[in-house]
Amino acid sequence: MIVTLHLVALALYALATALALAPFMGFRSTPRALAIAFPCAGAAAHVVALSQLTLVGLGPALSMLALCLVLLQLASERLLRGSAVSFFAAPLATGLVGLAVLSGLSPGTEIAASRTTWLALHVALSVLGLALMALAFIAAALYLLQFRELKARRFGQVFQLFPPLERLDRLNRFALVAGFPALTVGVLLAVGYGARFSGGAGLHVAKAQLVWGLFTWVVLGWAVWVRVVRRWDGRRAALASIAGFSAVLLVYVALKLVQPGAARFL
Amino acid sequence: MGIKVLGVNHRTAPLEVRERFAHGAHEVPGALARVLAAGASGGVLLSTCNRTEFYLVTDDELPPLDTVWSLLGERLTAAPSGGAREYGYIEHDRDAVRHLYRVSAGLDSMILGESQIQGQVRDAWEASRAQAGPVLHRLFQTALHVGSRVRTETELGMGTASAASAATQVAGKIFGDLAGRHALILGAGDMAELAATCLSDQGVQITLVANRTQERARAIAERLGGRAVSLEEAWAYFATIDIALCSTAAPHAVVTWERVGSVIARRRGRPLCVLDLAVPRDVDPAIAQIENVFLYDVDDLQTVAAQATARRRDEVPAAERIVEEETDLFWAWYGGLGVVPTIKELRSRMEQLRAAELERALRQLSALSPEDRARVEQFSQSLMNKFLHQPTLALKAAAEEGHGYGLLEALRRLFGMEPPA
Repeated sequence: MIVTLHLVALALYALATALALAPFMGFRSTPRALAIAFPCAGAAAHVVALSQLTLVGLGPALSMLALCLVLLQLASERLLRGSAVSFFAAPLATGLVGLAVLSGLSPGTEIAASRTTWLALHVALSVLGLALMALAFIAAALYLLQFRELKARRFGQVFQLFPPLERLDRLNRFALVAGFPALTVGVLLAVGYGARFSGGAGLHVAKAQLVWGLFTWVVLGWAVWVRVVRRWDGRRAALASIAGFSAVLLVYVALKLVQPGAARFL
Repeated sequence: MGIKVLGVNHRTAPLEVRERFAHGAHEVPGALARVLAAGASGGVLLSTCNRTEFYLVTDDELPPLDTVWSLLGERLTAAPSGGAREYGYIEHDRDAVRHLYRVSAGLDSMILGESQIQGQVRDAWEASRAQAGPVLHRLFQTALHVGSRVRTETELGMGTASAASAATQVAGKIFGDLAGRHALILGAGDMAELAATCLSDQGVQITLVANRTQERARAIAERLGGRAVSLEEAWAYFATIDIALCSTAAPHAVVTWERVGSVIARRRGRPLCVLDLAVPRDVDPAIAQIENVFLYDVDDLQTVAAQATARRRDEVPAAERIVEEETDLFWAWYGGLGVVPTIKELRSRMEQLRAAELERALRQLSALSPEDRARVEQFSQSLMNKFLHQPTLALKAAAEEGHGYGLLEALRRLFGMEPPA
């Protein structure tokens, strides 16, 4: 049932992706109601699937991340009055659900009931922080693309379909500022969990997870600091967001490479 | 004599070239005087941001046309090997008439169906009235009628698509909601007023700058709830405004790096949208090198506006039909223009010939009674009328069909008549 619901969500997200990309491939824009209906229906199936799942392990975490992304996409599109965020978010969510299904949706190892709540909270908050960071990255990427088109006086699909620069800048700022507390609590829970429960065989995994979690927290903190304290905005802030998110992804890949078989490491 | 149009437009020349060819109203009489001195019998100069076109009545000899190309070529700093004509085109007779009708209808505009061109055609006609001559006078009068017909009988002008509305759209892509933004409008002409109104409708606070027409600037600013300032006061505003819209009639750049470069640096990265609707351009293109400055000229804005005209394209066939109908009517009129005087001249010549021959014959027939002399005279009159009846009918019919011009030429050659002045 869980897998079936995930597959339904995957199909609906894939359709949403196709609709989001269609105008950039020369097809006519989809009516807005339809462009929203597919991710909404996908998210509904996804929520039902996740409610039956223990939020521990790679598959469930990826699935949770995809759902957070889709929900943030829908919220931000309402804010931006346009469907440009789905240009990045829809394929990303589709890929994440696909990966979640492929990597298996069971927790992997049995977790004691006392630890499940702790872990679920840690995963939920960390994933929310990551999703907001991804949203900041998407807003920054859209900003840079729109900025480039506007500077180059090109008035094609990007100009027509992407939101105004200032709205994208505001979305980027909001995603960073909201993502930081969520990730901070998520990392603190991970540190606490590591100190209290980890040991023996699980220690390496926990260490890698901690290194990456702390690194992500530092990067997100830096991005928030330059925006809020140093008052960076516009193109410079967008570049900082993209650099931060890219660094987080690169460190993740590096840690995965040096920790093969670390199934529980997100 | 024939009708010709030669010039450049937005399809054949880039803005950098068109702005050099643009003629202010005060330059029109001088330019036309040169072309008329070279042999044209009438001329109208239509100069807008999209085109500079000379409409001439001239024969097929080259001097007036060469004069136009050299007149335009003199305005180029770095002329290509072929001179100004490398950017230009030329249309003759019926095609020239059709061209002006299409221009007036907005079919040849960068923004399909835009209505501003009709006022510009009227202004060109007014400015050239003393040098236009009867044929171009009629041509421009009918061109305005064609423009009106197309706009009332088709939906070619539906919706809002203008450089001014595009200016609002572009500014919206930078700032999102424009309410509460601050715009500085340089210029107090029709375009500046239209753009200021569009921005004001979006809740933008307007400050108007005018150098020459302070009174008008104050009146517009008052109507839009803004204020008017002098040009000297304007530069400091570049540190705080969000949008600068320039539409002055200055012959050179007004907003230069020297004037606003250091002021813009004080913005600390806040975006500034600069919209240059003037031709020649008001804003030094170097300003766009500043990272937070987004500069758009009239071609950019017309490109944006043209995207809003997709539905208008469906109306093009109906508009073209009107243009074709009116071209036929004008050409019929033009073809018939020389028929009446030519027929009169032909009849007069024939009458002289008849009278001379009759006199000679009657001298030899001196024995004839007065009644017989009257009969002979009546016979000669009747014979001449019979001979002239068919050619006169054919000429009039050809003129009505718009083919009279060629037939007249043939007639004049056959009967050795002088061409009309």
